Order: sequence, then structure tokens, then C-alpha cells
Amino acid sequence: MVQPLKSLFLMPNKLKKVMLIDDNDIDLRINAKLISLTNIFDEIIICQSGERAFDYLNKNLQHPELMPDFILLDIQMPEMDGFEFLENYKSFPEKCPVAMLSSTLDFGDIQRAEANPYVVKLLKKPLSAKELAELIDY
Amino acid sequence: MRMPSVSVLYIDDEENNLQAFKASFRRQYEIYTAISAAEGLKILQNVNIQVIIADQKMPNTTGVEFFKSITETFPDPIRILLTGYTDIEALADAINHGDIYRYITKPWNDLELHNSIKNAYDAYKAKIDLRNKVAELEKTNDELNRFIYSISHELRAPLVSVIGIVNLVKMEGLYDTSGEYWGLIETCSNKLDYYIQKTLQYYKNNKTVTDQSDVDFNKLIKELIEVYAYTDRETQFTVDVDQQFPFKGDLFRIEVILGNLISNAIKYQKTTELNKKVNIDVEVSQELVNISISDNGMGILNEHLEKIFTQFFKSKVHHGSGLGLFIVKEALNKINGRISVSSDLSHGTTFKITIPNAQ
Repeated sequence: MVQPLKSLFLMPNKLKKVMLIDDNDIDLRINAKLISLTNIFDEIIICQSGERAFDYLNKNLQHPELMPDFILLDIQMPEMDGFEFLENYKSFPEKCPVAMLSSTLDFGDIQRAEANPYVVKLLKKPLSAKELAELIDY
Repeated sequence: MRMPSVSVLYIDDEENNLQAFKASFRRQYEIYTAISAAEGLKILQNVNIQVIIADQKMPNTTGVEFFKSITETFPDPIRILLTGYTDIEALADAINHGDIYRYITKPWNDLELHNSIKNAYDAYKAKIDLRNKVAELEKTNDELNRFIYSISHELRAPLVSVIGIVNLVKMEGLYDTSGEYWGLIETCSNKLDYYIQKTLQYYKNNKTVTDQSDVDFNKLIKELIEVYAYTDRETQFTVDVDQQFPFKGDLFRIEVILGNLISNAIKYQKTTELNKKVNIDVEVSQELVNISISDNGMGILNEHLEKIFTQFFKSKVHHGSGLGLFIVKEALNKINGRISVSSDLSHGTTFKITIPNAQ
């Protein structure tokens, strides 16, 4: 099933759960803190790798209330990197919008990320509360 | 000093000459002889030859014809032409098409020929050495570039975390709780980040092949002003874009060029100036684009104007990285663009650039 998610997903005003996927523990903590300080989301699901994110998603497939409403995905990760995660995410039955997050300045990465139908935007690290908020309620 | 073993191929249709040559030189060199060009080619295909001597006047294939025929397949051996008479036409042809190193008349003088072979071998060695050195340099350069690129990435990731932490400190209202320390950390981090970004820009400019995409100057300049003016809301921008023709060019490099110039125009304002102004004029024709960026900032000293595009040039008073304009110039070089600058301390600075339209 391939659907143009960007236009399909009119994001609900109140997003509840965000999933953070990043292998860097410090960035996970910084971003979790930023999100909890700004109340952009009510709940944060923290995953230290793409594999762990899928563990969580697969385990809770029968519990839609536990599914994330939004995913913030790091690009540079060992084993499964952000783009590979997206490749696998394609066939996952319950999808939500994804924003990629990276310290990259690479034009190619930016184009590649934003060409992906599930990716609403590539956000540059450090994550800015303002940019994230604007992205959520467009 | 004994010469290392040098392999010499001598081609002549006269058996006597081949014998005489062998007798004279077999002690100094490894000699191969051939009675015709065809025979000579066979030897070339099987033995690593450094110097080839060929008689000009041979049936079927002349010496020059033979040398011409092997310019592509065996470019390395050094060629010496032997002729019995001074045939100016053959000579001109040899020099122009056969890549001949020396021309020697028959009957040869042993000493002269010996010296010629020796010099030819030196030329051969120099050629090969140079080629190896170039290959080595290219490899080292490539590795260095890659190293700089990955190091910059690795350095930037934790730095960006630090900047993220400083942002959190601000959000939690802790920024002013430790005197000026947080502010200093922020300044240093931003400076370091700026250097890393410039390094990456420089690397990418060196590396990336030029691409041709549509450039919408109105949109591009609006975006760039947004990116670079967010720290400074005082500067008034006047932008006049006259683009009635499509423009095709290297978007990455044009962005780097304009980005650096716009950021400089903002950065080097007079602190006392109340009306900080930057004017950007763009005029696109079918052949090229003319862009002028002028500010009423602090200006550039006359004696500095020539040096501002060189790497790591910094004026004593105003500390830049010494990379911005250098990168601008390098990027323009890659896309056949030109830049000129005029400036004075009372009115400010104008940069004018011209980039060909690949449309």
C-alpha cells in the first residue's frame, strides 16, 4: 500500500505520542527534555536503534493506543540507519508521519530524505522547539 | 656508477647495422634488434623496452611511420630516429607526430649514440617517476579530502549536541545563572560550528562535480536572507531580481557563493550605523547572470582588497575565519564565474559577480 501520506495525513491538533529513534544517548536526552519542556507531545517513546523501534512497534501492533503519532528519526545510526528504517517501515501496517533529524549539511541527504513519501521534513540538529511546533500544526 | 639494466630496441632493415650496433653496445645495455617494424612491434609486445632506435629508411614501414603507429599503444619508451641523409620532411613529421626525442645521422658516432641512449633513458625514468608521483599525490589528496570530510562530520555531531544543551539551558531560564559562562560557551560553540561548516563547504566544492539545475534567484535569495539574517533583524534588505529568462546553473555552488556574501554583508556592518542596508540586484539574461551585493558597512581597506580572496586572510581588526571569500572564489572558479569588489571605508562594499547561464 503506497499512499501519498504527506497530503493524506492531516495531523490532528493534539498529537500524543512521539517516538524518538537515535543511537546517541545524549541527543535522545536533549530531545526528550526539549519535547517535555515544550509540551508538544504528551508522551515520548525512546528507542536507541531502528531495530528496537521495530521491536516496540511490532509488539504493540494490537494496541493502537500505544502506537506513536509521530516519529523523529536520526539518519546516521550503526546497523540500521535512518533510510533503512524507512525502507522497512514501508511495509509496516500502521504508519505515522516521520521527521528525520540529523546534523548533516549534506545536500544529497536532505533531498533524499525529503523525497521519501513518509518524511514530512528533515530537521537539522540541534532540534528547535519552534521548528518542531510549526511542523506539527501546519 | 653502473646504469641499471636498460633495454634498447634497435630496428633497421640492414643486418650489418644491427650486428654493428650489438657489437658496440651489448656491454652497456640489454640489446634487442629487429629487421623490420613488424618484427620490432613483436618485441615491444613481449619485452619491457625503455629506448627505441629506428632507422628511417626501411621498406614497408618507415621509422617515423612506426613511431606514429605506437604513440597510443606504447607511449612510454623514448624514441630516437636514425637516418642516412637529412630529410627535412621526415624530420618535421617525426617531431610533429612521432614524439621523437633525438635525431641522429648515419653513420653514427658511438659516443654520440651512447650519450643519446643514456639521456633517453633518463628522460624515460623522469617520465615514469613523475607519473608515479602524480598518482601518489592524487591518492594522498583524495584520502586527505575524505579524512577532512569524515572528521568534520564526526566533530560536528557532538558539537551540535552542545548547542542543543545551551538551547535547553535558555529554555529553562538558566542562561544567566552562571555569570557569563553560558554565553561564552555558546559563542565558542557557534564559532567552532562555523569553521566546521566552512570546511565542509570547501571540501564539497572541491569534490562535487558541477550539476545543472534550474535556479530561481527570487526564491533562492529570499531563503538565504532568512537563513543568515535570523541573528540580525536590523539590516534592511532591498532585493531587486530581474529574471525573465530561465537560468540553469550549479545550485549548490551558487548557494555557497551568495550565502557567504550575504552573511558577510550582514556581519561586517558598522555598529554605529543606524540604517544598516544591504542591496541585492540580480539581472538574468540568456547568456549570464549579473549579481551585485552592496552594503553600507565598514568597508575594506584598499591595501586589503587584493588579498581578501586568499585562504586564511584575515584583517587585524575584524575577525573572520579567513575562509568565506576564499570559498566564494574557489566555487566561482569551478563554474567559470567572475567576481569583482569595490569598497571604501565611508560608503561600504560592493561585490559584483557574473555567472554564465548554462541554458
